[in-house]
Formats: sequence, C-alpha cells, structure tokens
Amino acid sequence: MKLTLSQLRQGFAGAGYICDDSVVLTVYLALTLQKPLLIEGAPGVGKTEMGKVLARILNTTLIRLQCYEGLDETKALYEWNYQRQLLRIQMSKDTAGTELQEEELFSARYLLERPLLKAIQAEQTVVLLIDEVDKCDPEFEAFLFEVLSDFQVSIPELGTILARNIPVVVLTSNSERELSDGLKRRCLYLYLDFPSVEQETRIIMARVPGVGEHLAEKIARIISFLRRQDEIRKKPSIAETLDWARALLALKRDRLDGAVVADTLNLLLKTHHDQQLFHSRIGPEGINRALSHPHVEEGGCRCR
Amino acid sequence: MPLMSATPAAQLEARLAGFAARLRKAGLPLGTAELLDALRALQYVDVSQKSMVKTALKATLAKNKNHQALFERIFEDYFIPPEEHSLRAREEARRRHKLELRYEEAARSLQFKGETLRLSTEEMLLYTSLPEEQRRGLLNFVRQTNEGKNVGPQFRPLLETVVKGHLSYWRSRMERSEPGAGGSGAANFGGAGSGSGENRLRQMDIRLIRNDELPAAEALIYKLSQKLVRRLTRRRKASRRGPLDLRRSIRNNLHYGGSIFWLRHRRKRPPRQQLLLICDVSASMQRYSVFVLQFIYGLQAAVQNLESFSFSDNLEYLSPALQRQKGLESLLARVVNESGNWGGGTNLSAALQQLLGSYRHLLNRRTCVIIVSDTKTLALEPSLQALLRLKLLVKKILWLNPLPPQQWRLYRSVDKVRQLTEMWPCHTIADLEAVVAGRIMADANNCYPNIDQEGGAIL
Repeated sequence: MKLTLSQLRQGFAGAGYICDDSVVLTVYLALTLQKPLLIEGAPGVGKTEMGKVLARILNTTLIRLQCYEGLDETKALYEWNYQRQLLRIQMSKDTAGTELQEEELFSARYLLERPLLKAIQAEQTVVLLIDEVDKCDPEFEAFLFEVLSDFQVSIPELGTILARNIPVVVLTSNSERELSDGLKRRCLYLYLDFPSVEQETRIIMARVPGVGEHLAEKIARIISFLRRQDEIRKKPSIAETLDWARALLALKRDRLDGAVVADTLNLLLKTHHDQQLFHSRIGPEGINRALSHPHVEEGGCRCR
Repeated sequence: MPLMSATPAAQLEARLAGFAARLRKAGLPLGTAELLDALRALQYVDVSQKSMVKTALKATLAKNKNHQALFERIFEDYFIPPEEHSLRAREEARRRHKLELRYEEAARSLQFKGETLRLSTEEMLLYTSLPEEQRRGLLNFVRQTNEGKNVGPQFRPLLETVVKGHLSYWRSRMERSEPGAGGSGAANFGGAGSGSGENRLRQMDIRLIRNDELPAAEALIYKLSQKLVRRLTRRRKASRRGPLDLRRSIRNNLHYGGSIFWLRHRRKRPPRQQLLLICDVSASMQRYSVFVLQFIYGLQAAVQNLESFSFSDNLEYLSPALQRQKGLESLLARVVNESGNWGGGTNLSAALQQLLGSYRHLLNRRTCVIIVSDTKTLALEPSLQALLRLKLLVKKILWLNPLPPQQWRLYRSVDKVRQLTEMWPCHTIADLEAVVAGRIMADANNCYPNIDQEGGAIL
C-alpha cells in the first residue's frame, strides 16, 4: 500500500504515536525507497512501537524477530523439520511399494519457517521488526546483509528464494555496540530522542484517557527534569511516564508536587542508585523548584 | 511524484557532491551507495523546503548520533543562500581578525621570563574575556611571580598550572551565568568542543575536568563501562549451535531403537576471557587515576573474570578491595589513604616483576592485559624486559596512554613500549570509549575458541 506523506502523518496521529515531522518524513522515505529503517535511541523512546504502529497504519501483519546473543539462522530464517522427515522415512520403509525421493524430503513441506523467511514468503507486504539488532552477534549481522540488500535468502537444498513482496523492515538498536558500516549502508537511519515537554504532554493525553492537560504537562515537565540529571543512570522511559500517569489517576492525585513524586518514586526511578541520588541531591524541594521555576529547570538546575 | 523540476538535476548533484566531500572531511564514512540513496530521497521531497532536504540527507548520510550532530552543523554552514554566504565570509574574517588581536594581547601579557606561557588558544582567549578586575589580578600575579626572588625556569610549569586553574574556574562561572548560551558566549568560542554537556565532557582532557563536572563524568564512565560489561558477560540465552555431534546424537537416541530422532550439536563454549587491568597511580598520572579507577570499578561490579591492580613503585592487588567495598568513594578513600602507591614515583619494572612472581597464576593465553600509564617510569630497560616476558605469557597487552598522541613521539619510553604493546590514547573519555568499543570489545568477541565440545557429555 502506497501512502502519501500526509496520509502517513495522519496515520501516526491516529495511532497515538506523537512525533515531529522529520520522523514522519524519514519513515516516508524508507517506505518509498523500500529501504530498511534503522532506528537508534535510548531505551523507551518508542523504537519498537514504531514497528507496531507502522503495521497498524499499513493494515498488515507484524512479524517480529527479537535478537539476542547466540541467535542464528535456524532461529531466524528456517530449519528442516527433522522429526517429520524421520517419520516420513520410517513410514516409507514400513509401506511397501512407496519409493521416497530425496527431493521430497527437502521440500517446502518439511521446512519450518522462521520470521525472516515468513516475511519474505508472505503473500502481502508485511512489517518485519528486527528488534535490538545490536544484541545479536556480528556474524548474524553479516548474514542479514543478504536479506536486507536483495530481499532474498539462500537455502542450499532449495536454492535462492526471492521475496514475493518486499517487506517493510524496521531495525531497532539501543546502541549497545556500534553496528557495522555494511548494515548501516543498507538502511536509512533515524535517531529517536526523548520527546520534548510539549510532545510528551500530547503523548500522555493521547494514551492515558482522563488526564487533564494541566496534570499531563506537569508530569511531562517532571519527567523531562529527571531525564536531564546526568547522574541518573536509568532515565524514565515513555512507558514509565504513561504508567506513572495512570498510577496518579488511580490514586486520584490531580495535583502534583515534590511529595507526590517522592511517594511514587518507585514508578519512575528503578535502581537503588537512582533513588538514593534523588533523595540526596534532588528531593521533593528540587521538584517543587523545577515546577515553580520552569526557566531555571530548562536551564539545567542540577541539585539543591 | 518527483518534485525536483525547480532545480536542475546536475546542479543539485554537484551541490550534493560538494556537501558529501565536506562530510567526509569531517569524518563521516560516506560511500557511493549513500550518495545514490540521498539523490533518490531528494526526488521524493520538496527541495524548496530546507527542513525536508535536511531530513532526507540526514537519514541517508549520517548514521549514528555523533555523525548526526556533525551533519547538523555542516548542513547549516553549507546550505545557505549565496548572498548570506558572502556576508558570513566577511563576518567570519572580521571575527577571526578580532580573535587574533585578542590572542596577541594575551600572549604579550601572560609571559614568564620573556616567554609566553604555554596555554591553549581557548585559555588565551578566555583570559581576554575575563572581567577587567579579574584580568588585572591575574596579570599582577604573573608579574609578581616574574619578579620574585630565586624564581627560576622551574617555576614555569607551576605558574602555568595556577593560571590554567584560575581560567578554568572562570570558565565554569561564565558557563553557569549563561545557561543555554550557544556558540557566542565567551566560554564557547572553542568551536568544535561546543555542543551538549556530555559531548564536551567526552572530548575534553580528563585532567581538565572540573570538580563540579565529576558527577556527570562519573555517570558517563559508568555508561561506558556497562557497555563493556554487556559484551563480556556470558550468554544468557541458548548457545549458538555448532556442527552435528554424531556420537552424542546416537547415544541420546538409543531408546528410539536406533533412529536418530533428536539431534545433538556441538556447542561453542561461552567466552572466558580474562581481563587484567594495571593502573598507574603515580604522581604523573594522579589526575587520570580517579577516572581509570571508576572505569575499573564499573567493570568489576558485574564481571567476575577481571583482575585489577594499581602500581607506582610497587604493585597493589585491588580486586579483593573492589569486591569488598560497597561504593567507589570508600574504595578511592582506601586507595588514597592506605595505599603507599598513591602519588608515588613510577617503577613499572618492579610492579611487573611482582606481577610475574606473585600473581603468575592469573596470567595465561586467554589473559588480555590492559595497562593504563603514560610510560614515564624509572628503570626503562628492565621494565621493557619484564614487559616482554609478560607478553610471551598472555594473549595480548593493550596500553592505554593518557598522553595526547601528538606528544608520543617526544618520549623515547613511548616509542619503546609501543614496540611491545598495542598502544591507544586515553587522553579523553572519548578516547577511552573508542578503545573500549573498538578494541577491547572486539577483542572479547574474537576470543571465542573455534569449536569446543560440550564438556563431559561426550562419549
């Protein structure tokens, strides 16, 4: 399905994925040029969500390949159904008059399709989400080259399989390691940063029904303030912002100040180090100051 | 629908080629494939809109966060209307002329025994932008030192250190008083160094990082060390399959009456690389030592196969202390207060002899030794011999040198040590990051034995 730029923009807005125009344009170019889109950014900025939202906008299936150390072709591409092949051999031995050809054993019937092959063999254009590609081994990354550049895979027993429909490929990375130049060359690149206060306010309002604009804006400002503290190691993600907003609604807290933040800190800062740092260097007063003096907060007030 | 009819294609291609040349010069690895992608992308955007052109080019030409920051700067500089271009050139010439005048004024004022103090261009310019009273005070101090009794040339480094410290203090004050100031602030004329706070910290000499910037630097170091930790930790998921293990397959399928129903594969053994860090905490290295220790601490917190030592005139085994101590601050206090090493002289030879003697059991062909030192040591020749002996015992020696690479050729010791080890700069946090990401992590990846059979399970 071909989308225009404005249709894509409307699609993102309709799916509640709030982002700026440059993000939409980059996705549009990736779709138009039929190039994979490599998205990098801190954890929790909406990289994986982008793949899911695209599948919704394009009204198609999402096929997800979660990468991890040790992932190989048999988990990502295909594997022969060995047990079924064995049963077939046994059956042919037990049944007189049936002669089994080797080609039959290595046919599509005995092939277990894994996500990459599924995406290439799909009858319609699907979204292939290759999540956290930086976690896989460099050898597997090199293997991806063939799929991503030519949209084809080679299976020794069957030959080269060309994509029936070129899938929309979204790769995400948390930048745990630098990806190879070869992989990057085959992709368009998008770096997703944490949203601005204004954007995050809109995200909260779109995703958490019942939150008023005033509360949403305060939540976004506090989250933004916490993210700017260099010493905080695990910055709150958008998912944590939304969880916090939902929790505040459940607790019927329509006013937000430092004391409320301190009471619900477990939802925002999830390491002992970060929580200690909050109590020793920021505290409820620091939050109150940031809320009452947004210009000081923007300027980077660090601690009390 | 292509929208580039407003601009002749050839002109656009020429502009793009010029822009790509600028990006390449700045260090972006651009190939023909990227340029072709960029040209194709431009066919689908409205080229009369600068923001669209920028997004299209950024997505196709700049493929990591740092490169995108560089891209932004070069794009804004390159794609400007011709009239603005000449205006900017005139402004730039005027600005440069002013800076030259200011530099000359500073060079004339900040002298010791007739010679200009060795300060960076940034420091010289910072001096001229100080408040009048402060400038006069600093100048008086320099003059009084010049005129002091028994003040010989040996006082010059001390004077330079004091002046640098004073300027660093004022830079920090000026930055605080101008939050969010762009490139125009007095403290920001450094140009390439400006940008986000984290980026500036990454690029600056570790020695010059101020006390108030230490928490941010510590957080950055933590992030960096965690990157390394993730690569070194064992696989948490199923191991990658190796080739078919026929003997184990037959044995495990005996109860199926001879049919091999379940296949067994040989597996690669998880990497068991041994990292051994030796950190120089002698006087010449003191300022770097805190950072290196933080680095070591970040690794030690999550990796078991890591041994850490500090040395100056002898070797101290840090691993037990790192395992016991709850936090870095108490460790640093212990190292500084209790260790005889801190701030002493450097004797690499003695330290290595001790390593080869008392800690020989930690050295094997899987050990990657990382030495952090500026190579300035007593007894260079015996040190080199000990280094050679160490090299024969271990897989590899990586030497992280905090001296800027341009100074390496000035020291004979650096030259000699480089012949025996693989030397990398760690003058800045960015250097440290580069060597960790590019060399140490790559080393960890390449250390997998080719094919190892799963221990014990084989007939």
